[in-house]
Amino acid sequence: MAVIEAERVAVEARPWWRRAWENLRSASGALLFMSPATLLVVVFFFIPVVLIIGISMTNMSTATGFQNWKWVYLENYRRILKHPNTLQVLRNTLMYVALTLAFFNVGMALVIALITTHIPRRAGLLYRALWLLPRLTPSVVYVMMWKYMAADAPYGIINRHILQPLGLATTNLLPIYPWVFVILVNGFIGASFGMVIFTSAIESIPREYLMAALVDGCTPWQRIRHVILPLIRWPLLFVTTYQTLSLLTSFEQILLLTEGQFGTMVWSLWAYERALSNYWGNFQWGFGAALATVLVLIGIVMAVVYMRYFQFEALIQEPKIETL
Amino acid sequence: MEVHLEHLTKRWGKVVAVDDLNLEIRSGEFVALLGPSGCGKTTTLLMIAGIYKPTSGYIRFDGRVVNKVPPKDRNVGMVFQSYALYPHMTVYENLTFPLKLKKVPEEEQRRKARRIAEMMGIGHLLDRYPAQLSGGQQQRVALGRALIKEPALLLFDEPLSNLDARLRLTMRAEIKRLQMELGITSIYVTHDQVEAMTLADRIAVMREGRLQAFATPEELYERPRTLFVAGFIGNPPMNFTQVEVIQQDGQYLAVNPDMRLAVDPDRGSRAAGRGRVIMGIRPEHITLARDGEPAHLEAEVYLVEPLGRDDLINARVGKETHLHFLADPALKLRIGDRVRLRVDTSRVQFFDPETEQSLLWS
Amino acid sequence: MDEGALRTGLRPRQMYFLMFLMTLLTLPIVVGYLWIFISTFSRRTHGLIPVDIEGRPFRGLTLENWSFLWQDPNIWKVTLNSLILALGLTVGVVLISAMAGYALSRIRFPGRKGFLALTLILHAFPSVTLLISIYFVLRWLARIPVVGRGLPLIGGIGYNTLGGVILVMVSLQLPLGIWLMKGFFDQIPWDVERAALIDGASRFLVWRKILLPQIKPGIAALSIFTFIAGWNEFLIPYTYMTQQEKSTIATYINSLLSETAPVNYSQVAAVGLFQLLPVLLFFVFTQEYLLSIFSGGMKGGA
Ligand SMILES: Nc1ncnc2c1ncn2[C@@H]1O[C@H](COP(=O)(O)OP(=O)(O)O)[C@@H](O)[C@H]1O
Ligand SMILES: [Mg+2]
Repeated sequence: MAVIEAERVAVEARPWWRRAWENLRSASGALLFMSPATLLVVVFFFIPVVLIIGISMTNMSTATGFQNWKWVYLENYRRILKHPNTLQVLRNTLMYVALTLAFFNVGMALVIALITTHIPRRAGLLYRALWLLPRLTPSVVYVMMWKYMAADAPYGIINRHILQPLGLATTNLLPIYPWVFVILVNGFIGASFGMVIFTSAIESIPREYLMAALVDGCTPWQRIRHVILPLIRWPLLFVTTYQTLSLLTSFEQILLLTEGQFGTMVWSLWAYERALSNYWGNFQWGFGAALATVLVLIGIVMAVVYMRYFQFEALIQEPKIETL
Repeated sequence: MEVHLEHLTKRWGKVVAVDDLNLEIRSGEFVALLGPSGCGKTTTLLMIAGIYKPTSGYIRFDGRVVNKVPPKDRNVGMVFQSYALYPHMTVYENLTFPLKLKKVPEEEQRRKARRIAEMMGIGHLLDRYPAQLSGGQQQRVALGRALIKEPALLLFDEPLSNLDARLRLTMRAEIKRLQMELGITSIYVTHDQVEAMTLADRIAVMREGRLQAFATPEELYERPRTLFVAGFIGNPPMNFTQVEVIQQDGQYLAVNPDMRLAVDPDRGSRAAGRGRVIMGIRPEHITLARDGEPAHLEAEVYLVEPLGRDDLINARVGKETHLHFLADPALKLRIGDRVRLRVDTSRVQFFDPETEQSLLWS
Repeated sequence: MDEGALRTGLRPRQMYFLMFLMTLLTLPIVVGYLWIFISTFSRRTHGLIPVDIEGRPFRGLTLENWSFLWQDPNIWKVTLNSLILALGLTVGVVLISAMAGYALSRIRFPGRKGFLALTLILHAFPSVTLLISIYFVLRWLARIPVVGRGLPLIGGIGYNTLGGVILVMVSLQLPLGIWLMKGFFDQIPWDVERAALIDGASRFLVWRKILLPQIKPGIAALSIFTFIAGWNEFLIPYTYMTQQEKSTIATYINSLLSETAPVNYSQVAAVGLFQLLPVLLFFVFTQEYLLSIFSGGMKGGA
């Protein structure tokens, strides 16, 4: 009995090395499942983050090649500050994000979600399916469609069917109203994310609340204003933060639509263009990396804030099996 | 197989689910773990199965410490409250899953599955999926799956609590029969004391992670060692009243402002001279005095709950002492009726109000 | 007229007005896709009107735009590449997410919470900003003998190989996949897994034989979603694959567009529709799955 007692005490107060060993053992069981994901995350997230910060402090470019580059430390960042385009690009980026977000990714998304839940079910489904189409369409085809929309008469749809019959002067609209098209192109894709989330949030509002509001004599509009909107403010906040981040870093559509011409250069495209894709084949990896690093830092900060907001702890439960 | 739990303890952070549990289960014995929900029964069972690791203490199978043995090597079978059938497999596949893992030849699998299915009366359901079965049928399949690998230890976690009352009775009888036939050591978790009383050779009563008592059903019923056990075992539950036991004229009287009850001297003597104690009287030991028969107590009917075969009467003695007892519905007792009661005073229990320990048994 | 998804108390007139408004908002989409459809069967279009060479309206309907299907051998090569990319991506994302999602949902191991937090952060992380440094990683990978750039079918896992593009895309899709998979595993009752362990299975076998079959709907949804993402992807192959014969449909269309003028829009639209068609078919048949995963992903994310 005394022996057992001694052993029991030994188990209770496990020394640190014993605990470390047990941790390692249980980790090795999970390792089998975790290793592919871990490997990819390390190779394609961790290393690149470190790399991009590192590269941003060099003068690496096609001119220096991969051998003859030098550390320039914060030189690239100084160049960004002094660059004649910086202010303009910054302004463009803010405008692009703010307007697309307000009009489409949140605004239009909310409008569609509200309307399609207030009209007959099948019609609502049809409209939502149509709005999902742009997201499912290959971006190249989708952007081409918009280019054709803007093209000069007699080809372009707007020119041919609206301006021409009205007797107005026709021209390629893209260079004249580049921002309108940038926002439309991105917005028609972006709206569906919020639309799906808002719709499912609205549909999962307990029926009693909605019925009670009607019984109390609310008009549909009052009900939206005082019952539905307050109840979906959480998804609203989620979509707003999440989509801000997506818009800030998305440039594929702009690349395909204008390549940043007509004054539509945004920050992420600027980084991409400088480092990886431009006409002159002069890739300024160091400068591009510095531009990207700015976004990476914004991204990290926002992601952390976003985690705080969305109560990470509440989403995880402890596993209820302790053996391997 | 013998199962010994020694100082078994399980903590999650600050929650102590199982606290220094000691239990020796003999080979072939049917033991019930009985306690209110949340008292740590399931946790104990899952530690024995190897799903949870004990924080401290030991689990021994036939003397061998199995703390580190993974569940698949413990040779136990388990039946869950939720049945836990594999929803994507047919009944046959569910039954043979343990055998498949042991790489038993197909032919033998088929033979064993057929035998078990016959034993459980589910032979005609082998091609169905769990979702196509009734609760009772699912529980039979779960039982069959636990039995098919011929485990040395069977664990049941409230297997009947999702069934309707009638099915529960049938299944209860069936589990008892099977266990007696096969002689497999079994641990049966339940919060239903009737189930525990009817099934088990011995009952371990738990409360807040601690063992309260471990004894045969008769022992727990007749000689409860703690107030908790006395209150938990027996249906309807025991009546408790605060009294003082005094000795007067060679008699022992349990006294409070509402009543004076002469009790069996053997029992009364142990409670006498201790100041306030708690007296326990089982409802079934209170009867109505027949005409001409002397009564121990006079009371007024306060509430009548018809239970079908009996009426459960709540009667008030004096100002505020209430006693429950059973009466024949044919008597048609009404609220406000005066009744004369007899108490089997040789079976009353006494407890220390501080320690809640029995003054009679220790 | 049936009621709205919510009981609204709207009068029919108001409802018609809402539907009219919705139609107006949706019009650009309808018109745009209508144009794609019309132009693929026309010599040319003026707006939505098919015209012939002389510009006479409602003439010039033709199947010629589809002739690339039998005349341009490249189309089948790039289609095959797109298919390999989409399938490889799907297999990779589903398999790796299902493994990691299981461990994160159900196994106790040190670092579990940390990794979960990390997936959530990565889920919201602007991964496209890493394209520049991933370019360097891929160039390193290309130097690994054999696997770098000497594998059949996918070329390898380095720069300028299909395999490399797949790896990058798998990584970028992984946080979402892991998060969704974890959510699906979270929903399976613990007793089922406990029963299987007691029946004699290892955790790997439990995963493979008991849990995976139970989350089939989730796997299907994630597969469809991932397949479409891979089939449509433009930026990653465009960035990391410079050789024409290795490109995918998306980059192929882009090269048609940026080729020497004048661009034959009708033909490009036909190729575009060719790429869009499988997605549309998929979508029509799997709408519900997709919507459930979109909103399921939201529950995981919010
Ligand atoms: N996996 C777990 N993690 C944390 N606490 C748990 C876990 N399982 C059970 N508990 C807690 O331990 C106590 C005992 O639970 P349990 O063994 O399930 O009780 P019973 O089966 O007797 O109803 C409860 O307070 C419960 O909340
Ligand atoms: Mg329990």
